[in-house]
Amino acid sequence: MSDAVALPAIRRRAWAIPGGNLGIKIAGGLVIAAVWQILVGIFAPPYVAKPIGIVMAIPSVLSSPQFLAAAWSTLWAVAQGLVVAVVIGTVVGLAMGRMRTVDRAFAVYVNGLNAMPMVAVLPLLTLWFGYTGDARMATIVFAAFFAIALNMADGARAVPPEYLEVARSYRANWLGIWFGITVPAALPYLLAGLRIAAGRALIGAIVAEFYISLDGLGFYILFNSRSFHHDEAFVAVLLLALFGLGIEAAMNWAMRRFLPWYRREGRN
Amino acid sequence: MKRTSLWSDWLPPAITLIAGAVLWQYAGSRTSAAFLSTFTATMSRLWGMVASGELVDALAQSLLLFVTGFALAVAVAVPLGLLLARVTVLRIATESYIMMFNSMPMAALIPFILSIMGFGFAPKVVVVFLFSVFAVLYNTMEGARSVKPELLEVARSYRSSEWRLWRDVMLPFTLPFTLTGIRQGIGRGLVGMVAAEFFLSASGIGKLITVNERDFDTAGVLAAIIVITIFGTVLMSLGRAVENRFAAWRGLSR
Repeated sequence: MSDAVALPAIRRRAWAIPGGNLGIKIAGGLVIAAVWQILVGIFAPPYVAKPIGIVMAIPSVLSSPQFLAAAWSTLWAVAQGLVVAVVIGTVVGLAMGRMRTVDRAFAVYVNGLNAMPMVAVLPLLTLWFGYTGDARMATIVFAAFFAIALNMADGARAVPPEYLEVARSYRANWLGIWFGITVPAALPYLLAGLRIAAGRALIGAIVAEFYISLDGLGFYILFNSRSFHHDEAFVAVLLLALFGLGIEAAMNWAMRRFLPWYRREGRN
Repeated sequence: MKRTSLWSDWLPPAITLIAGAVLWQYAGSRTSAAFLSTFTATMSRLWGMVASGELVDALAQSLLLFVTGFALAVAVAVPLGLLLARVTVLRIATESYIMMFNSMPMAALIPFILSIMGFGFAPKVVVVFLFSVFAVLYNTMEGARSVKPELLEVARSYRSSEWRLWRDVMLPFTLPFTLTGIRQGIGRGLVGMVAAEFFLSASGIGKLITVNERDFDTAGVLAAIIVITIFGTVLMSLGRAVENRFAAWRGLSR
């Protein structure tokens, strides 16, 4: 891919993030909200969430300590789980990418478990960890791990052989080769994996909270929608959407800022 | 793709699968059956499920749910994505919101669907649909955006008709991206399928897992998980195969 072709592609991507055409975007949002308000107002039962009700509910929800505790609980668990998954996933991915024996030994497990819908292991994890926060943490790590390991392995495989040859000619030790050359070269892949992993981790956390009835955003939504407080529950959904969007934006930014030389899609 | 012999392709995974089974058998025999049942106990439980027809019923229910929801998602997302590709104002107005829905954890909407639609087949289809639709829509839109304006300008300069513009420029450029979306959508739809079977009216493989978990029948849970892993792997490989078949077209844009 030549630079002349790559540059406009990156620039064009940049305005996908709010900025340009702001007026049209806002108008689009207002139209969507209006259609939602009117359709739900006519056809759905009165308790169903409507944009005006949601906006009215925002101040009271955001100032309720119960909501803040729930949000902190979920997002903190997701962040911790992602760190664990990144550390283990990077090491396993590196080993799979650079060592053929390891790759052949683990590929069948990692590929299979990556393709499996991760919420399916949740009941097994509750058998092992009990109906506790530990089961949620295990679900988050399990949901995030395989995307990171697979992408890291792809990245480690794709390191240009010339880099490694030069390093070997200068008698670099294996530690230098792995963490000085392979990891930086594979970083775009790791970021792509992390983006997928973060989305899966959020889903894992929410589904675990539904299943375990564990305090957090997922349970907050479940509890409030059961007691027909849909507007309040939807504020939590908005926060989750913002969090997901924030991760997406952070990855795009990091990719453009630190790794402008590479663009690649994640392996899902 | 370099040809490798059957020997080097199949031997290493076979060895690790056997090693995994032996390790599992050993670990299972050292702990209580409720914590981790042995490999042989799990296999005989799996055989029991097959023999009683329980497994076939569960698979059929899950597959029907998945296919219905996913087909609906593709039927809505592809035409909508193409429409947004062509009508620039609509695309600019909606793309931020589509991106938001694409990165939002759809599982958060399950309680609303439960309280509005209740139990039955339809709400579960809605869950699978919601899980997969935005992946297809978002990627189709991205694909349409990858069409270089120069190409459209050249086509127009030569007075290409709208139909030819679609057939020769828009569709070939967009299709590979749509297929990436379909592959991602399969993965997400599977998660939606299991989540719907857990939290809405219990059915299929999801029910098989939860019912056995409530009975502390770890062998049953593990057997069902093995089945869903194979189920997921087959569907994902299908998606990947279709995607790779048309991936070469994407090379044209670079």
